This record gives sequence, C-alpha cells and structure tokens, in this order.
Amino acid sequence: MQRIKEIKDSFDSDLKKISNENELEELRIKYLGRKGLVTNAFTFIKDVSAEQRPLFGAELNKCKKAIENQFTSAKEKFTAGVEGEKIDITLPGRKSFVGKKHPLLQVADEIKHIFTSFGFAIEDGPEIETDYYNFEALNIPKTHPARAMQDTLYITEDIVLRTHTSPVQIRVMEERKPPIRIIAPGRVYRRDTPDATHSPFFHQVEGLVVGEDVTFADLKGVIQAFAHRMFGKDAKVRFRPSFFPFTEPSAEYDVWFNEGWMEISGCGMVHPNVFEAVGIDPEKYSGYAFGMGIDRVAMLKYNVKDIRLFFENDIRFLKQF
Amino acid sequence: MKISYKWLTDYIDIDISVDELAQKITDSGVEVEETIQRLPQFNNIVLGKVESVEKHPDADKLSVCMVSDGSASFQVICGAPNVKADQHVAFAKIGTHFPNGLKIKKAKIRGIESHGMICSKEELGLEDKSQGIWELDSDMLLGTDINDVLEAYNDTVFDLFITSNRPDCLSHIGIAREIAAFTAKKVNYPEINIKESSSRVEDLVKIDIEYPQGCPRYAARVIQNVKIGPSPQWLSQKLEAIGLRSINNVVDVTNFVLNELGQPLHAFDYDLVEDHHIIVKKSQPKQKFTTLDSKERILPDDTVMICDGKKAVAIGGVMGGLNSEVNDKTTNILLESAYFNYVNIIQTTRKLGLITDASNRFDKGTDPENVIYALDRAAQLICELAGGEIAQGIVDAYPQKIKPVVIPFRPQQVNRILGTDLSESKIMQTLSGLDLVDAKGGIAVPSYRVDLRKEIDLVEEVARLINLDEIPTSTFEPVYLDQKENQDETLFEYTRNLLIDIGLQEVFTNSMISTASAEAIDKDNVKILNPISEDLATMRPSLLQGLLAVILHNKNRNNHDLKLFEMGRVFISKGSEKLPEQPLNLALALCGKRDRQFWGGDANDVDYYDLKGMVEMLLEGIHVSAQKFSIKKQRIYESYYSIELSIDGSKVGHCGKLDDALLKKFDIKTDVFFAEFNFDILKKFILLDKKYNTIGKYPYIEKDLALLLNTDISSLEVIEFIKSKGGKLLRNVNVFDVYADKKIESSQKSIAFRLRFQSDERTLQDDEVDQIFRKIIKKCQENFKASLREG
Repeated sequence: MQRIKEIKDSFDSDLKKISNENELEELRIKYLGRKGLVTNAFTFIKDVSAEQRPLFGAELNKCKKAIENQFTSAKEKFTAGVEGEKIDITLPGRKSFVGKKHPLLQVADEIKHIFTSFGFAIEDGPEIETDYYNFEALNIPKTHPARAMQDTLYITEDIVLRTHTSPVQIRVMEERKPPIRIIAPGRVYRRDTPDATHSPFFHQVEGLVVGEDVTFADLKGVIQAFAHRMFGKDAKVRFRPSFFPFTEPSAEYDVWFNEGWMEISGCGMVHPNVFEAVGIDPEKYSGYAFGMGIDRVAMLKYNVKDIRLFFENDIRFLKQF
Repeated sequence: MKISYKWLTDYIDIDISVDELAQKITDSGVEVEETIQRLPQFNNIVLGKVESVEKHPDADKLSVCMVSDGSASFQVICGAPNVKADQHVAFAKIGTHFPNGLKIKKAKIRGIESHGMICSKEELGLEDKSQGIWELDSDMLLGTDINDVLEAYNDTVFDLFITSNRPDCLSHIGIAREIAAFTAKKVNYPEINIKESSSRVEDLVKIDIEYPQGCPRYAARVIQNVKIGPSPQWLSQKLEAIGLRSINNVVDVTNFVLNELGQPLHAFDYDLVEDHHIIVKKSQPKQKFTTLDSKERILPDDTVMICDGKKAVAIGGVMGGLNSEVNDKTTNILLESAYFNYVNIIQTTRKLGLITDASNRFDKGTDPENVIYALDRAAQLICELAGGEIAQGIVDAYPQKIKPVVIPFRPQQVNRILGTDLSESKIMQTLSGLDLVDAKGGIAVPSYRVDLRKEIDLVEEVARLINLDEIPTSTFEPVYLDQKENQDETLFEYTRNLLIDIGLQEVFTNSMISTASAEAIDKDNVKILNPISEDLATMRPSLLQGLLAVILHNKNRNNHDLKLFEMGRVFISKGSEKLPEQPLNLALALCGKRDRQFWGGDANDVDYYDLKGMVEMLLEGIHVSAQKFSIKKQRIYESYYSIELSIDGSKVGHCGKLDDALLKKFDIKTDVFFAEFNFDILKKFILLDKKYNTIGKYPYIEKDLALLLNTDISSLEVIEFIKSKGGKLLRNVNVFDVYADKKIESSQKSIAFRLRFQSDERTLQDDEVDQIFRKIIKKCQENFKASLREG
C-alpha cells in the first residue's frame, strides 16, 4: 500500500518538472510503459496477503487511472502550448461547392426505388414517338374523341412528342411475354401554355403489370402499398371512376396528404383492344396500368406552388433540397 | 358542363343533400369539379317598402324616398326612374357590402342625406343589366332578410367534367339518368303534347340526304306564324343558371332542349330556305361558307353541308349560316333535328378550329333515336312561347335505320377483371339500373349509350355503380419475376451519383428551345409543327442551350459561381420519315470561382483544367482508362480549347472553353467551360463488373525527370513514350510540374515527370531502376531533342 502512495507521489513531483512534450513522453514510459513503475507494481500483488489482495488491486487501479488522467490533461496543455498559436475554431472552414440532385429527380428516384423493391423492372422509351405507339396501339384511333383531350405537339403528321409514358407499355408488350411487371419513368409533352400549374413538358411514371388473374383489386393493392411507402403509413387512397381509352375500367386515384386529397393520376385494367394490338390473348391474361405525375408529387411534397421553379434551375432553389 | 340542381329536379326526385349528391355523382364517374351557389349571401339587405317619393330639390333625376324596414323609416336618395310609393323593394341598409366591393355608407347627395340604397336585380346578381330598381312581388314581412326572399331565385350549379366517352351525360336528362341509377329512382321524361295545324309538312318542305354516311338521319318540322320575342322568366332563369344568355324565345328553346335532352337543334328562317328544299351534301373542295358569326370559312373535305335549293345554309352539326338565321322578322320556322357521324364532325371541327355547343355533342356521338323526341319537345315549346302553328307531321329522312346494339355478356368476367365476388343476380341488377337489360344474345344497350360496345364496357359499368370502394384491395406481395434487368438505369444512377460526389449540381431543363438558339449551333434540327411559341419551337440538339439559359438566369440574380450538370435526351433529325435519334446526353458547365470564398485567400476563377479534372474524375469513377483527349476544332469552342474525347477509338463527346462570340448570343459575358458526352456511347465503357487486382506489397521507387521540351510537344506524347520504353516495372508516370519562364527559351518549356517503379515479386534494387531510368532519359533526349533540366 505504501508502495502505491510512493509511486503516486513520485509521479506528482516528476510531473511538475516537465517542460515539454518529449519529457512528458519519457515520463509516460517511466510510469505507464511496459516496464514502467505502475505496470511493475502489479507484480507485487503476489507478495500481498490473500485478504489484502483485492484492496491492493483496487488501490493500484485507482492510482493508475489518476496518473493516466493527469497525463492526458498535461499532454493537452503541452500540445496547445507547444504549437504556440491559438486558433479560432469558429472561423468557417475551407469549402468547395456541394452538388445535389435536382429535386424532381430526387422524387423520381424515390418512386423508382419503391417500385424496384416491389419487383418492378424499369423500362424506357423514346420521347418523340410515332402516332402508332402514342395513340393507335393504345386504342386511340385518329377519329377517337379522346384525341381532343390531349393537345398534342407534332413533329410531322405521324410523329409526335409523346403525350404520356403509355407508349412504353406497347413497346414492352411487343417484346415480351407475360408475366410483366414494369415501370417507365420519363418526360412527356402537351400543348399547354406555361403557368404556375401547367408546363408544356412534365414527368410521369407509367406502371404496367400483366399476368394471369391480375385484377382491379390487385391494382388497388399496389397503389395502396406505394402510397404507404411514399407518404407514410397513414396515407389513404381514394379511387374515382374515370375514362382512358387504353384501360377499362379506368379510375383516377387521389392520396390523402397534408390534410387534403391530392390527385396523383389515372389507372385501370388494360383494355382488351390494347392486348390485341400487341398479340396478347385477353382471355388468358389480364393486367393493370397506372400513371403518376412526378411533378405533382414533388410540388406537394416540397410545398412548391409554381411548377416553373423546377425548370428555371435557380441555384437558390436547387440548394434547398 | 354546367348542370342546375333545380332544373334536375324537373326530371327526378332527389332526397339526398346537395353535397351527398355531388359526392355520389363523382363516385359514379362524372367528376363534380365545382359546386356553385348561384347567388351570393348578402348582409344588411332586407325587404323594404317605399313609403313616399319626392323630387330632389337640386337634381332632376334623383328622388328623395322614405323607406320602411317594418320598424323604422329611412331617408334614401334614389336615381331609378321607376321608383314609386308602396313598392316592395330590396333595401340595402348602411353597412351592406356587395360582392363587387360596393359598400353602403351614410352619404350626402346634393345636400341631402341618404341612409341606404334601393337595389336593382343587377346589384343582386339576378341579371346582367338592369334598367331600374327591382320591384318585388312578395307577401313576406317587411324587414325579412333578403337572402330568404331570394331563396326562390337561388340555385346550386354543378360544374361537371364529362369524359369524352360519355356524350349521353351532356344534358340534364343524361345526369338525371345517372342519378336514377345510383338512387334507384325513375326518370320523369317530359311529356309531349303537340297540337298540329292542318297544313301538311310534306307540302311545305322536302328533304334529301345525298351524303348518308355523314348524316344518317335528318328530320324537320315547320312552325308557321311565330312571333319572335323575349323568353319568359322560367326559361331565361334556367339558361342563365348554366351560364347561357337569353336571346329570344326561339333560340332559347333550341338551347334549352339541347341542355335538357342533349340533342342539338337548329332553327332556320323557313322563308330564307330557297325552294323549301333541304339537301344534305358533302362539301365541295375548298368550298367557302359564312357562318352565323359572320366569319367566312373554307370548308375541309368531307364536311356535311346542309343546303337549300340554291346554296349552303349550314355546316351540319357545327354551325348555321348567316344567310338563313332566325331574325326579328322571322315568322315561319324550319326546325332541324339530325344525327351526324361523329367522325365527320371531328374532322371538320379540328380543321376549322371551331367548336360549338352542337359540335361538342355530335363529335362524340348523339342518340339517333332521340332525334324525333327532341324535335317534338322543341316544337311544342316554341308553339307555347312564340305562338304559331305546328304543321302536321314530321319529315324524317332516315334511309338506313341504325341497329340497336346487343353485347354478348358473361357475368363472371366482372369478377375475373375486378377481383370481386359478386353474384350473377347482383351484377344483372346493377346493370338494369342503367336500363341495360337481358336480351336475346346478351345485354341490350340503350341507343344513347354510344360508349357501350364490348363486354369490358359492361364490366366497367358494374365497377362504377357498385362503387370502386366496394372492390377489395389485395395485399400487395412483391414477387420475383425473371425479367430482363435494365442495366441502363443502374448506369444512369451510378453516373449521376458520381457527378454529385465531385461537387456538381444537377439541373433539369426544357427540351423545347427557341429555333434561334438551336440554330446558333446547327441548322438541321427537329422542329415542332405546331409549337406553343417561337421560344419552344425546336427540340434541343444539345444540352448546351439549356445550361446556358440556367447560367444566364443565375448570373442575372448575382449567382456567378456555377458547377452544373444535366443528363437528358437530345434530338437529331433522321429525315421526316423516321423517328429522330434520341441519345441520352451528359453535359457539364463550369463558370465563376473554383471554390467558395475563404478568409484565408482569394479563390481563383475556374479554367480549362478544372473542367478537364472533372471529366477525368468522372472517367476514373466509372473506371474508364483508355480515354484520349485530342484537339479537334468545333464551332462552339475557342480554337485552343476545343477538345474531343474518345475511348477505345469511339468518339464519346467534346469539351472545352466556349467561344466568346457564341456566349455573346446568349448574353453571357464571362468564360464558360463546357463538356458534353453521348451517354449511350459512354455507358458501354463503364465497368461495373469489377475484379480484384492484387495490391503490390513490395515498396516502390520513384524517380523524377525534368525535360526541356519544344512547346509543340504535348505532355501526353512524352508520357506515352516513357511508358513504352519503361518496361513492366514502370507502373506510373505523372506530371508534377510545368514551368516556362524567361530563363528558358520561349519555344521551350520544362515538364517534370515522376516515374514510379515497382515489382509484384520482389523489392527492387536501386541499381536496376537507375539502369532503366538512364535508358529512358537517353531515349527521350533522342526522340524529343529534349535536354535535361538542371534542378
């Protein structure tokens, strides 16, 4: 016991004599090194009587801890002192520029990740399409009244800026046999004059599932599952009957978000005429398709009231996401 | 489409609230976009009585009136000529706020105080223009809130979005039928009660259809000796409720029947129809015709023209002509009710750019069997409202009757498609609510339901009427499908992440640009046939224009330091027959400072090597190593900074410093460094399938070599040369210094290279490295006529 006190006293007096970091290091070796005084003292434990041993051990550990602590604070003092300069740690650091993904594409990525986790493959198609893929094959012949619904931008009489991502459905079904489970995100165009809620180009995600015994109930299920992932467990989904030539029955769906119903887009069961156009037997297979407005989701998610902000690319806007 | 609630109640009993009704209409597939109260709520306006009227002493046209609200009397100055004592009036007291912003305050008019205002119908929103105050015929107590008095005039109007497959819903009867289906009620169709005169219609008019394909049915009645005049209040009120202006009794009847039954009608002045002969023809090529809006139009091919014995009198199903329009002097009317082929109407209206209330029905398909009913209904109303005699009989040209539709139907298909478990009787019962009933060979479809042609259409009818909420929601279970993996998507995301990592901000720009900005680079672009504006007339051939627009936008807002990238499709014309080539491009643009402001020193402006560094980091990140940068003059760049990038011999893209003259065209006055790559080519070189290479465990030796070289010689040439002479122990050659100052002749520069030698098998000895190094020096001296620079 006496031994321990001697070691501690000797350390305290040695420490007072230290004037630089090197001496401090020597001191560390002298006491805490592998053959140091403290380390060595542990070997005396065998000379102590059995009943004293625990006490001795505890006392020695206490001493070791104290020396270590004193040593650490001494070291900190020296480090600061030796450099001889005080730094203002509150001054700003040296920074380069930080890049971010575009907010709209962040939302698109999120949607893609959700559907990828649902087992959907991601597909793509051209933005400039033939009349056939954009309309004819989707059960919208030239004289169909629904053509007036979409104000189309034309390149030639038979080549259009696609008005929806639905032509990808046709391209995929032409290439592949069911079962099919895909999404197709991308840019689409309409002849709308730009204002706060309209842009002549915007972004959709198309979904298509084809197989045996695929039903409207399954469609409701996948939209519900998506809404939960995207908007949280409390998200409610509502379906309203609607009309699209390439699905029947057709519906619009809304999601309850931020205390209001927000209209996301349309959906429905693939129309038998569409299956016939791509050579899939509608008696054997059924399927559903759905769309989703990426811009709309992003506007609601970020509380952006003017769609044009996304395409002005003001750096003060982009940095916020 | 506006539908009046009050008007609806003429045809169906509604025993649910307005809100519930609106919800149910929406749930059944006709979206109620807005529910509008026709009249606003007023404050402080009461039923009053004029007690006395005296002339204002200082103004000829003003009167000083005393108006009672039942408990007190108020002095009011009134300018209306029709104000009289004992009239019941709408009295706006002090404090009234009108929706148009007018506030009633205590006022002095020509020296006499006025404590309120006597209202006109215009001020209460009951009509567009009033001539004087409104004299009420009311037995309610004086002082009654005017909102209660107006209740009889109020109405709820639904603004409906009717999808193009449901023209049958474009009328009050049509909506009543929908309501009947989900409330299990009956529609009360208006009864026809016509008194005909002794003149026979066949003697008065003759009809010939020469173009039955465009006009399968054309019927007419003649009404003689009518008196054109204003419409009664019940009629003008109904039309005004749905946003139509009352014109005269005959025109109003045709508009009323259109909105009641969905059948467009046209009234000709019988005496202006020459020979009293209607001939339905196909238009002549380039035929001209003046419609009743006084516009001369050139008619598209296959337009259905209604002609008399000498001339055209109307564009069938679209608009009548100026030459046969009903006017104040009209006494005899030829009333048309017809059925047109929707395809002809679509083609005509699209080419003319002319859409009317009539064409809006005909172009989607009307009910061919509604023609006579609507004609009778209108004739009866005209007779009631404008007097006159209805000639006996109808001329009904209907050469080939349109066959009723019967759809073969398997009720179990409903459950197969919807995932429901509905009984067959429930399905049939649901359909019968829409008058879809069992017939021989399937389900008989009413003639007005032009959208029901296939079994799937009936499935949809069941779905919307049982309510989509009643269809179960399956639990979604992700399953693994053995589908082709789309690697493009992986590469797209991988590359974007990498660009973000090296500090670039992603932007997303319009792919439609102005023709002028597209042509600043190249003339041969993909142009839009019907652009929204000149600024959005060409599809971008490059991401350059979009990025420059972003730079300009930000510079104009004092943000000058920009490091941007975009990935997007660009469009390259392949002639008018083929789809354009639409590669996914990747572009980078840098301008302003290299780093953000730092208190420890000024940041430098970005230069070519910042751009090249970014490109090299990108290539490093995607593990491309066989890249080659070579000078190739391109119009968008300054000549010394115009670089082409190729990988394994394939051209991938270009980079450099943008040409000042080009930037000036885009109003940009600072340097911009730009790079653009065809990602569809670049991605082929991206290495995703990586294999581990052993990390050398023996130490390396580095040797430095500074060469004085002719300025024509590029560092890359020297590096490649050194590598070719260095053997397999030479692992890497880097430039670590470039130096050119006055001490060195101006045609020369000094480049310092650091060579690293390493072996995988052993620790290298200094001697063997020195030997190789000396050989390299010697070869360099010979090959480049270079001298060694003394440290």
